Amino acid sequence: MESLGDTLWDIVICGTGLQQSLLALSLSRTGKKILHIDPNEYYGGPDAAFSLQEAEAWVDRHASISSGVFRSASITKPEGSAGLSFSRAYSLALTPQLIHARSKLLSQLVSSRAYKQVEFLAVGSFFTFKPSTDPEQKPTLARVPSTREDVAFETTLSLKAKRGLMKFLKFVLDFEGETQLAVWQPHANSPFNEFLQQEFKMDAELQKYIITLTLSLDGQMSTRDGLAIIYRHLTSMGFFGPGFAAVYPKWGGISEIAQVACRAGAVGGAVYMLGTGIKSQEISDNDIELQLTSGDKVKTKLLVQADDKTEGTFSISRLTAIVASPLKGLFESVVEGAPLPAVSVTAFPAGALQTEAGESYEYPVYVVAHSSDTGECPAGQSILYLSALTTPHSQDVLKKALESFLESVGDKQIPQRLFELHYEQGRGSVESKASGLIFTLPNVSPSLAFDDAALDPIKTAWGVVMGEDASNTEYMAFPDREHADEEMSDE
Amino acid sequence: MADHSGVSHGVARTSRERTAEQKLVETEKITKYRELEDEVRAAVVRNEYTPELFQLTSKLLRINPEYYTIWNVRRRSLISGLLSKRSAGSSPSKASPSTSPTATTTTPSAASSSSSSTATPPVPESSTAGKSSSTADEPAFPPSNPGDETAAAEQKDREILRLELDFTIPLLMKSPKCYWIWNYRLWILQQAIERLQVAVSRRIWEEELGLVEKMLNRDKRNFHAWGYRRHVVEQLESSSLAGASMVETEFEYTTKMIRQDLSNFSAWHRRSKLIPRLLDERHADDMVRKDFLDRELNFIREKLNVGPEDYSLWYYHQFLMLNLLNYVGHPTIAPTLTNDERAAYITREIDDIKDLLEDYPDYKLIYEALLDYTLSLCQVEGRKPDSSEKEQLIEWLRQLKRLDPMRDGRWTDLERDCGLLKLGFGKN
Repeated sequence: MESLGDTLWDIVICGTGLQQSLLALSLSRTGKKILHIDPNEYYGGPDAAFSLQEAEAWVDRHASISSGVFRSASITKPEGSAGLSFSRAYSLALTPQLIHARSKLLSQLVSSRAYKQVEFLAVGSFFTFKPSTDPEQKPTLARVPSTREDVAFETTLSLKAKRGLMKFLKFVLDFEGETQLAVWQPHANSPFNEFLQQEFKMDAELQKYIITLTLSLDGQMSTRDGLAIIYRHLTSMGFFGPGFAAVYPKWGGISEIAQVACRAGAVGGAVYMLGTGIKSQEISDNDIELQLTSGDKVKTKLLVQADDKTEGTFSISRLTAIVASPLKGLFESVVEGAPLPAVSVTAFPAGALQTEAGESYEYPVYVVAHSSDTGECPAGQSILYLSALTTPHSQDVLKKALESFLESVGDKQIPQRLFELHYEQGRGSVESKASGLIFTLPNVSPSLAFDDAALDPIKTAWGVVMGEDASNTEYMAFPDREHADEEMSDE
Repeated sequence: MADHSGVSHGVARTSRERTAEQKLVETEKITKYRELEDEVRAAVVRNEYTPELFQLTSKLLRINPEYYTIWNVRRRSLISGLLSKRSAGSSPSKASPSTSPTATTTTPSAASSSSSSTATPPVPESSTAGKSSSTADEPAFPPSNPGDETAAAEQKDREILRLELDFTIPLLMKSPKCYWIWNYRLWILQQAIERLQVAVSRRIWEEELGLVEKMLNRDKRNFHAWGYRRHVVEQLESSSLAGASMVETEFEYTTKMIRQDLSNFSAWHRRSKLIPRLLDERHADDMVRKDFLDRELNFIREKLNVGPEDYSLWYYHQFLMLNLLNYVGHPTIAPTLTNDERAAYITREIDDIKDLLEDYPDYKLIYEALLDYTLSLCQVEGRKPDSSEKEQLIEWLRQLKRLDPMRDGRWTDLERDCGLLKLGFGKN
């Protein structure tokens, strides 16, 4: 067998995050010589999912780093860890994302045949947190209606308010039509909430519902972006079946897709090396020579890597909590014939929470709950992924949100918190960079719902690798492999 | 290497052109089919209802489940030998020549009439060779006493009937709307009632209800499935299956279906048909009935509020209004309402529907309803429309002419009938 150094590689891909992995998938039928490495000992990069031990090791590495995608990582066990199961019973996603049914990612997984390796679960209800007005009563969660049937059966809005909501939903479903464009284009760049208020006379309550559906972390998107996001949600609703608009891959979300994509790359002949990074590189006219941390020296025509620097101040604060309760009320299917959801979303609207010092936190906070059906925790427990825009008080606010949330969902007792992971996650550049023989994929902003825009740089990179062949080859479209089921064995 | 031969966009292309080879394959298939069919028909002509014939019908029906005559052949095979003989005391066989039709022309929704016409041709016990034991490989042991014999016979029948139900399932998956398969299922289910113990046949029918629910989940507005469901529920409620009323769960089921899709006309229709019996079984007094009416009006109001374009919703609203208006000689929800109370209800409905116009100015069904109900109100109050009502009627008719110009003649007729033209209001 040839050694790594004897081959002139067509491409070396560094990192096994979703983007690099999808690139490997896109090239898996080309017969090109691909070397795919990752300095980590695990797949997934920033999209990885961890067992408890892996999370602890990861935290050790990121506790004190002040640059890079992740920082300020720590673990707390507020009520002792008596109920925790063994380490590998958990799979905590670093970047939990739900995928809308109409997402291009799913159609690419289908056309490339990789979807068969992934089990998708339904994302169910979206809720808005309602603080209690009466000190005797606990806070509640109000389900956000997003279909005609939801609105008709909802019990708290007035008839008039419901008509307003229906008009808005109908408007969005055809927001690129002529009449509709005339209404919103003049306001395309102004704040979405203002548009909702002025054009649809939506009061604060209804606006909160709509903002929840956008999953916006700063609650301040433009009208154009807001309409596009709601459109995606509404058109995804019912697309794969009644009662849900988005899906979540079992066993760790996006990390599972990354692994499946790498597996496809391996079946296609790519060589995989974990625990291997690039020590140094020497660029000449026609190739790059890479000194790997494994001691190997390899030559390649193209190097693709991800940007691991963060730019700007945009950063998300995260709190991932393992809770000793199945929280069944969050995972009910509301519509006959709908699958039982494994994920639900709750938004604390901007201004709903205060810091210790009594200041109002002016951004939304999201709690994405995962049941044990996701395979991310054992039965009888759930995982709560909280996210909020980073401010000096955001970690504080996340703790508050978790407490209030558990208060609202707990039946008789407040569910016990077994394990909490805290960290901050930044965003890198938004543009890919191609400089000579190196292509750098952008470090896409970690949104709560997968953004199809992340797929474009991958196709661009694919085009660079394919060269002239790109124009007569269809992207991410493959026939079934013969004996596909025999080759792809589960790890 | 990417291989795209024969594949376009990852999907195999289905070609209309047939190669010579494909034509050959098809000709062979047709020949085999004809041979199979001939074999079956020959055996029928010779009156040889053997287990072999039974197997042949399986083959043929798998290829062509629409061939209803063959379903009959299968029925006769079962009756003439595979199923146990019915003793003299049990339901009499309606003797008739072997060409008597069984349930060949009824649709599933009218199936209750078909199940009683299982005419069985007389078959001599000893004649045909190879006739006898069950399809399963059961040893035929001589039963020691009559009681055992009955129990053994019933057990055999049960297995055969279950196998028959299983047989139809893959056929249904392929041809979910084939009447003949559903008819056959109903016939088998009726056999279950006639041949098996109540507890056993009841469970089989309950499973059938589960199957109908699956069908309705797949296609919520499958009109035939709703009819089939009605028949299944009727049987489950009947004494032959030791049944009790299911009106409450059926009513709840319509709510569930509406929750899934407001436009489910069949669900609304079923709901309306269940109400009289529902209220009777609840022994509802006048107050309870009035409360029920209020709730149903509220229920439909919320639906119309979000779906004013939907005809099935207006249909149900009309049903409730007719309850208020057409109470002479019809069972209605709240029969003892006074005239004043009825007028008050109609007035409220008119006011609520007018609210819809604030946000939905271009839905013709709203104007039609306002027109209808205003005229009904006048009828109830025994008067003609007053001047402000007339102005509104003219305005609504104007809107209807704008929104539904195809029926311009109708709107003009209405104008005339209401005496609105003469007054010179509203031209065109």
